[in-house]
Amino acid sequence: MLEAAVILDSAGKEFGALRAVVDLTLSVQPGEIYGLLGPNGAGKTTALRMLAGLLQPSSGRALLLGLDADSAQAKGRMGFLSGSTGLYARLTPRETLQYFGRIHGLPAADLRRRISTLAGWLGLQELLDRRCESLSSGEKQRVSLARAVLHDPPVLILDEPTAGLDVLASRSLRDFVGSQRARGKAVLFSTHYLAEAELLCDRIGLLFRGRLLREGTPASIRSECGATTLEEAFLKLVDRE
Amino acid sequence: MTRLSQRLSHVLLTFGKELRESLRDRRTLAVMILFPLVVYPLLSLLAAQVALSRDRTREARPSLVAVAGPDGSRHDLVARIRERPKLLTLIERGSRDDVAAGRLDGMVQLADAGASRAEIVYDAGREESREAAERLSDVVASILPEGCAPRFSLEKRSLAAQASVGGYLLSKALPLLVVLMVLLGAFYPAIDVTAGERERGTLETILSSPIRRFDLLLGKVLAVTALAALTGLLNLASMSVTLIQVMRLADPASTLPVPWTRAAAASAVVLPAAFLFASLFVAVGAVARGFKEAQHLLTPVYFLSIAPAVAGAVGEYRLAGLAAWIPCMNVTLLARELLLGHAPLLGALAALASTVACGCAALAVAAHIYGSERFVDPGPRERRFRANSSAPTAGQALFLYALAFVLLYFLWLPLQRRSLVLGLLASEWGGLLGLVVLFAVFTRRSLADLLRIVRPPPRCLAGAALVGLSAWAGVAILSEWVSPVPKEVIEQLRRSLIPTDGSRGLWATLALVALTPAICEEALFRGPILRGLRTRAGPVAAVALTGLLFGVFHLELSRILPTALLGILLSLVALESGSILPAMLAHFLNNASLVVLATLRVDEKLAAIGATASALIFVASAVLTAFGLLVVHSGNRQARL
Repeated sequence: MLEAAVILDSAGKEFGALRAVVDLTLSVQPGEIYGLLGPNGAGKTTALRMLAGLLQPSSGRALLLGLDADSAQAKGRMGFLSGSTGLYARLTPRETLQYFGRIHGLPAADLRRRISTLAGWLGLQELLDRRCESLSSGEKQRVSLARAVLHDPPVLILDEPTAGLDVLASRSLRDFVGSQRARGKAVLFSTHYLAEAELLCDRIGLLFRGRLLREGTPASIRSECGATTLEEAFLKLVDRE
Repeated sequence: MTRLSQRLSHVLLTFGKELRESLRDRRTLAVMILFPLVVYPLLSLLAAQVALSRDRTREARPSLVAVAGPDGSRHDLVARIRERPKLLTLIERGSRDDVAAGRLDGMVQLADAGASRAEIVYDAGREESREAAERLSDVVASILPEGCAPRFSLEKRSLAAQASVGGYLLSKALPLLVVLMVLLGAFYPAIDVTAGERERGTLETILSSPIRRFDLLLGKVLAVTALAALTGLLNLASMSVTLIQVMRLADPASTLPVPWTRAAAASAVVLPAAFLFASLFVAVGAVARGFKEAQHLLTPVYFLSIAPAVAGAVGEYRLAGLAAWIPCMNVTLLARELLLGHAPLLGALAALASTVACGCAALAVAAHIYGSERFVDPGPRERRFRANSSAPTAGQALFLYALAFVLLYFLWLPLQRRSLVLGLLASEWGGLLGLVVLFAVFTRRSLADLLRIVRPPPRCLAGAALVGLSAWAGVAILSEWVSPVPKEVIEQLRRSLIPTDGSRGLWATLALVALTPAICEEALFRGPILRGLRTRAGPVAAVALTGLLFGVFHLELSRILPTALLGILLSLVALESGSILPAMLAHFLNNASLVVLATLRVDEKLAAIGATASALIFVASAVLTAFGLLVVHSGNRQARL
């Protein structure tokens, strides 16, 4: 078995009296899409923020490729995208990508090539030199996705990336994430759309009130709960709590 | 790439990115370019033209005047007035009522025949009447006793070079204007790079990339510094030209050149000031959750920064001593001295060092905020503090302070000038304690909870008593070393507060000067203000800011330092004991000690002691005060504020 690319090891996070994440353990292998599912307030964003190096775990560890998640080396090998991610309104997508590419230390020629390649993949050619403030939500999310994978990171952390997108844009984003799995990337994907997770994820973890209720393939969780859909399985598990 | 060069590259990248973004922002461009280069010069020239045209019209119109008095005395004066038909038109009969009603611009009332007294009657509320009074004064003064002629023919000749005259004229308005413009130039960019970034949802993105938070911060601060400095420099250049143009407008024959060398020298203050304001504003903006909140938080900071700059511009201060070290005030003074062409080297160095040091301190605070988790999500901590807490918000605390300040300035101080005792009692019990009580009622808080009136452990009271009995000496000596309070101020305070004529007994004085402030001032400052600020700031910042606000509240520059120091100590006592009562006790004992010493006139003897004895007393006071604070700290095992 390969060494896991993403590890949360008994990780907990408290904000004063509020325990947002409790003793959470999970791992994601290279070439795997792991879906972290749960209702609003379940602790998904906090867990992902710990892995993105934005928050320090109050207990336990958050590791990316064996490195502490808040280290610059770990951040350099991870791409982060969330549904609430914004863009620099007064910059163009090209300027935004150039800024982040240079933060990641990409040489100028490589950066030009990479921007051109991603523009082709994500259909950004016409948008590259328009101000971000003039783009639609779907266009903005495509630019954000290009920004997240610009440095070709082995780990992708996506926090509800389809939130607020229409059906076509969501589909296009899911296709892109699927293609990243095929390229051997480890993808940790959070959503509260259970049907979306069922379509995309190899394994899922069900999070509720900061705790991991179940973990496994969508099929194994459905069969364990005697449910026909993941949503039904989730509701049954929550009822037992 | 080495780690250092990579970090430098990250700082420069962020600097460039922020600069590019800000220069595409219409608000920033308006403040930075449109206002200094177009709006201000146009408005200034327009205002100057209107004023000049009004002055010329007034000067061209003869004043309507009359002379009243015995005919014998009038004769000379009437003749002189008739010699000046372009300036004065004599009306044969006129009275004071005519002047008051505006039918006459002025009149001269002569005393009885033989007497030498003349009274010029005019209406100081009318420009024309003031002008008439000036003209009449000249005429009256020109009448000499019979047979006398002026001994000298007078001619004034200025030795100043044209550049000095230009520098002098610019020094009147430009220093404050430049500091204000630098402040304004930093305002919107600072909000944009901090709260704006959070609001647009780009903060998480950049924080999850491999850039150190300090490098990100430094890039932002440098970008805001550059924009603020550019705003200041453009204003400096534009207003230099405009002011000289206005002068030429007033006197077309004038050959006054723009003193570019002095204006360029004055620009030396722009960069340090821009760095200070950029660091300060970015630090404040970093705690805001959105653009609007940042504006609310920065507005009081903006005005607090303006206050010392205005004091420097309008006051008769020199760039020396404490004034050279007070941020904002010192840059205004330095700009003025540079425009006048005689900035003292030591004062200039002190001003620059103090400004840069304060900028670095603000940058360190900003770095602390950027490094904290609260920066990623300011919500949880705020909620944590609010939960189970009767503390007001920081905004409410600042609002209460502002309200108390306005009431003090516009209501209580005028009352104190009429009747000191009544004014003091009203301002303390009504303006401070009353305000707190009203706040508690309106916000439906229990007064005891709001003020934290809880029984403190005996050790806390003992520690507070030690602080109150010992701190006054150290504070007074430190203040004497750093910024001596003028003797006249001390004497005036003594005369007004501690009368020696027997009109008020010692107990009454103690009640007025020690007990009243101990209860009322503590209720506001160590109550809602300290507690409110503590919800948004760490203990050190909350204590320091409360102390500073306490110092400023005493409305006298020379007393800010001692009162601010006392405010800091009292805030520490309240914070560490978890109750307001020990702070009240310490405040009472501090003031009571000073009253007793002044009554016995021991303070005069203390003022005359030598440097060694002063140092010894200071050390003893500092040790006792620190011990007192330690006792307070160790006495409280409950949760602190």
